[in-house]
Amino acid sequence: MASIDIRNVRKNFGIVSVLHGVDLSIKNGEFVVLVGPSGCGKSTLLRMIAGLEEVTEGEIRIDGKRVNERAPKDRDIAMVFQSYALYPHMNVAENMSYGLRIRKAAREKITAAVSNAARKLELQPLLARRPKALSGGQRQRVAMGRAIVRQPKAFLFDEPLSNLDARLREQMRAEIKKLHRDLGATSIYVTHDQIEAMTLADRIVAMHEGVVQQVGSPLELYDRPANLFVAGFIGSPAMNFLSARYEVSGETAGARLPDGTLIALSSAYQLEEGAAVTLGIRPEHVEMSPASEGSLRATVDLIEPTGFGIILHLGLHGLPFNVFTLDRAALTAGPTVTVAFPPQHLHLFDETGKRALESSLQKGKG
Amino acid sequence: MVDWKDGQLERKRQLKVFDATAGFPESRRQSLVDRITRHAEPYLYTAPALILIVTIMLAPLVLGLSYAFRDVHLLNPFSGGYVGLDHFRTLYDDDNFYRALRNTLWWTGASVFLQFVFGLILALLLDRPFAGRAVAQALVFLPWAVPTFLTGLNWAWLFNPVIGPLPHWLYALGLMSEPANILSNPQFAMWGPIIANVWWGIPFFAITLLAALQAIPRDLYEAAAIDGAGAIRRFTSITLPFLAPTIAITVLLRTVWISNFADLIIVMTSGGPADRTQIVASYIFTQAFRALDFGYASAIALVLLVLLLAYSMLIVMLRQVLMDRA
Repeated sequence: MASIDIRNVRKNFGIVSVLHGVDLSIKNGEFVVLVGPSGCGKSTLLRMIAGLEEVTEGEIRIDGKRVNERAPKDRDIAMVFQSYALYPHMNVAENMSYGLRIRKAAREKITAAVSNAARKLELQPLLARRPKALSGGQRQRVAMGRAIVRQPKAFLFDEPLSNLDARLREQMRAEIKKLHRDLGATSIYVTHDQIEAMTLADRIVAMHEGVVQQVGSPLELYDRPANLFVAGFIGSPAMNFLSARYEVSGETAGARLPDGTLIALSSAYQLEEGAAVTLGIRPEHVEMSPASEGSLRATVDLIEPTGFGIILHLGLHGLPFNVFTLDRAALTAGPTVTVAFPPQHLHLFDETGKRALESSLQKGKG
Repeated sequence: MVDWKDGQLERKRQLKVFDATAGFPESRRQSLVDRITRHAEPYLYTAPALILIVTIMLAPLVLGLSYAFRDVHLLNPFSGGYVGLDHFRTLYDDDNFYRALRNTLWWTGASVFLQFVFGLILALLLDRPFAGRAVAQALVFLPWAVPTFLTGLNWAWLFNPVIGPLPHWLYALGLMSEPANILSNPQFAMWGPIIANVWWGIPFFAITLLAALQAIPRDLYEAAAIDGAGAIRRFTSITLPFLAPTIAITVLLRTVWISNFADLIIVMTSGGPADRTQIVASYIFTQAFRALDFGYASAIALVLLVLLLAYSMLIVMLRQVLMDRA
């Protein structure tokens, strides 16, 4: 197990720059998830840590030692690939023991490590099979087994669940979490699936266009997204955004929508009076209420029952707006509904898309 | 109760549909012609393909094989009679045939081995990205496009000390005591056609092996690199197992082709000097078109065919084993 430090790491492919200076330090035993849309540079970063891509600029340290120039095999890490990358001509036991055999470990040690890993992953009955005789989930397990037999300093996961169907993905997600709890190994996990990120991570690193957008615990990212990108990326269905102008009048701060409605805010912000802002609210936080001050009328475009709850696709002044509710009465919602925004659940972003800072002067109370 | 009845009805309906598609007539009153056509139907559908295969492939083969049991001399109008196994008895005692067989082994073995080794090296070089790779790949394919007849002439001239540079270079390197033509040296003459053949045949291996190399998922190399495998280990534990089926099938094909491949030898040495470069294929050619003894030539060809068939079966079985493992 080890700590991993990434200092101002950049990556260029020719003249195309894909990582613009990433800083990240991962503690011993931590489970860090790199999340972002495809092309954000998360996989490239992971491959650089593994040693499969050269570092253009900056430094990667494992356990305090610079590894930029080290070959993958000398970094003592293990990686689980999206395609599993199992050796098709070797059986399960041979696949798992390959790394140990190369390192010329003692035969008893290899057998012990393989049977230990096989027991943890319930692979014992499959040890003599070749990968082509395994199901997707089983292959995934073998790939994990291959990683854990070597007891490396760190585990790297490159979208390991993307090739599985939804049910299996949920199941394997839980198994990975359990495995991490049992082994306590430093892990870096790349995914584009924000649910995987939320459920697995000790800390999430949200990336976009080669830049780290926010680093924090899953709930930090959910409760206090640092910018519009994170706000829109984390959470499903995605957060709603409305453009507005920031207003302070006496004791209260508010956001004035283009139609003139004033939405009350829970605190004042470090913003100019009249500044253009984006108001964000998650679908699950919107209240459907009888008309009152600060409530809005919206037309109902579509009703999607998920079983657990209901997603309402609304039109708010012609713009799409989603509401998630557990109230089954919403199934029979009429052509229009009234929605209200509880101030404590509102997110305010400034003109540049950054989360607006609450003002130290607590001028107002929502 | 109603459901159950519905179910029964549904079953009955399905059975009826099944009957109809099976094509069994509901009434037994059907003419003989109808029944014959019904049975002949699948054969009629396959007939065009079968007729083509029989006329184009089987008929000439059977005719050729029949020569082996007949006395066929091209210039003797009274020949053509059945002679039984006479040709094979002659063949059994024909020292020239045994020498040609040994030469065939040597010629085929050396050619295939060298073509394969150089082809593999070339494929591995072309598999790495470098500037101008597309052009290099196209150039590598070039010798394959040269007609074999021209290849033979070209190399014969290169080995000729009067017009070719090779003997002079070999002499300068101290490999020859005088710039002589190796094609007229009984000890080394076979190397002439072998070298020409290697030059001509490398592209086949290079291109097919390159295609196989490029089909190997890159992930596997990365996984192996992380597992701790160095370049040599990656080659032996990933590249070779993946290439094995392709290697088996290309080596099989080339072996059969090259052992049948007399063009270069006919053009470069005509089997000489003193039959030192005579292989079975060129011996067949000599018997058929120089001695004009088609009967005897067919008998030799039949023996060669049987040997190659046995060899092919062996390799096909080996390939099956490799494919099952992969």
